[in-house]
Amino acid sequence: MRLLLVELTRLRWRRSVVVLLLGCLVVPLVLLIGYGWSTRPISDSDIRQAKDLAAQDASQPWVTDEIERCGSDPEQYLGPDGVAADCATAITPTYENYLYRGVVDLGSVREEVGAAAITILTGLMMLVGTTFAGHDWNTGSMSNQFLFEPRRLRVWAAKGLAVTMAGAVVGTVVLALFWGGAALLASSREVTTPPGLWGTIVATQARGVLAIAAGGLLGYALTMLFRSTVATLSLMFGVAIAGSLLIVAVLGEGATRWLLPTNFLAFVLGGFSYYDGSACSYSPDGMVSGNCERTLDMAGGGLVLAVIVVAATGLSLWSTRRRDVP
Amino acid sequence: MADTARSDLVIETTGLRKEFTGRRGTRVAVADLDLAVPRGGVHGFLGPNGSGKTTTIRMLLGLATPTAGAMSLFGTPVPERLPDVIGRVGAVVESPKFSPTFTARQNLLLLARSVGAGRTVVDTALARVGLAERADDRYKSYSLGMKQRLAIAATLLKSPDLLILDEPTNGLDPAGIREIRVLIRDLGDAGVTVLLSSHILAEVQQVCTSATIIGNGRMLTSGNVEDLLGSTSYRLHVSDPVAAAAALEAVGMTVRRDGGSLDVVTDAPGDRITRVLADAGLYLSELTPVRADLETVFLELTADDRMGVTPTSQEGR
Repeated sequence: MRLLLVELTRLRWRRSVVVLLLGCLVVPLVLLIGYGWSTRPISDSDIRQAKDLAAQDASQPWVTDEIERCGSDPEQYLGPDGVAADCATAITPTYENYLYRGVVDLGSVREEVGAAAITILTGLMMLVGTTFAGHDWNTGSMSNQFLFEPRRLRVWAAKGLAVTMAGAVVGTVVLALFWGGAALLASSREVTTPPGLWGTIVATQARGVLAIAAGGLLGYALTMLFRSTVATLSLMFGVAIAGSLLIVAVLGEGATRWLLPTNFLAFVLGGFSYYDGSACSYSPDGMVSGNCERTLDMAGGGLVLAVIVVAATGLSLWSTRRRDVP
Repeated sequence: MADTARSDLVIETTGLRKEFTGRRGTRVAVADLDLAVPRGGVHGFLGPNGSGKTTTIRMLLGLATPTAGAMSLFGTPVPERLPDVIGRVGAVVESPKFSPTFTARQNLLLLARSVGAGRTVVDTALARVGLAERADDRYKSYSLGMKQRLAIAATLLKSPDLLILDEPTNGLDPAGIREIRVLIRDLGDAGVTVLLSSHILAEVQQVCTSATIIGNGRMLTSGNVEDLLGSTSYRLHVSDPVAAAAALEAVGMTVRRDGGSLDVVTDAPGDRITRVLADAGLYLSELTPVRADLETVFLELTADDRMGVTPTSQEGR
């Protein structure tokens, strides 16, 4: 307990950690503001602007040309029942064409902006775990700490627990703020929430908090293994880029199942559908019939993530216990 | 070694060995080292660069695992039971190592809290090494000397019975060196056993009561500093060196001729030489006491080491 409090203090005092935690607060907020802006109600000013654009486009020569062509062959333009008198109405731009805007939908927020927020928070917490441990190794202060507490696994556990707890707290608070903001947004737009959606959202966020905390632990464990911030970051980028390419090269059409994003989203969203060419069915004439999707369930995705975290943690513990401290 | 003598040993290693295996093969950093540091006083730990001093210290403190051999601190086997005794040991290994963006006080507070000590202990330690006024400055703004003093302050957080200092005066200005030497001597006088690893021979000679000299990971000699320095010799000039040599040898002194001078090795005081020669009707024109210093002893013992002669070890730390 004493060591845990020391590590929580160390975490709180680290400036880079504070900056990253601020990022954890700001990024989801920016995502939510962006979503709110892209779904804002259409104003009189928007309508005026759209009408101006429509009028501007309607006066373009190509519109007149198209109307003339349509008049000479209305069926080609308007279908079998098309008549020349309808061509001008059908082809001349109207202001409604310039006013497309989505509406607030908490279901899609969960699957898109909400999932993006969890993904970004997980990445930032991985960086927190990495910089937290990496700093101790880079400065050599880790050996100083072992001179005061030579039971290395205790030190490992205290630091790991501090990072994991920080991830859980940050995840809980930030996602609660995010969804509080989303609820306010929906309420201000008088959007009704379908029954059961909030239950799904809460479950998604609970898994999100787990993923964020595990991300912090994974970053920390890898850095305790490699004893270098740079090495851990290189590995992360390597896995993100070369790892995906390798999986695709080796597994071909079935590769998507094993890509990290697929498993991550399957776990967080409670299932994830993805394109898989091997799932397509073909009609006798060789045309694709039906869809080519497979669905990875939450357990399947969670298992892959758990194996990665457990393997990294195990190796890290072994390394901390066995290897000489520089 | 008798049990009573053993109980007086603060540090003891037997057959301690450390090998590093790399792509270039295995190199021996510490080779079957038997080290015994008695309780109390300041014990010098001397050796050329790469002789294995730091590796030995790191093994004692649990930072490195020995390949073979046994170690104990206060009679307690380590690293198996290191947690039982680490609270009695303060150590600075190689250079000071702290978080550069934390203040000195923050760095020490984190270490102190990990052993259940508080702010008072930190303030006392900082005051003792003269850093109280700069305690809230960031570590990265410190000079090397201040960093060394902070490292020593960290060792004092645990009120140690044993202090292991690896080159503690590195980078200090003359006033700082003097302060640290006084501090080390005071700690030794206060009953703290200090193991002082240093390459500054004058420092060891001034500060230490006993010393161990190692080379290529092996112990070359160990004992009280006075004993290591050996007997005093005298250089003398006399009108008839042959007759003088005969007279001195007749009373059991060891005499070596060096041109017109004589080198006489004896435990007897200088006036005994004067008397022997006067009785023989010979009169001195010059009598100079020549006392070996630790540097001479060290250079003689580590000559092979410095020339890289030893076959078993390529390099140590």
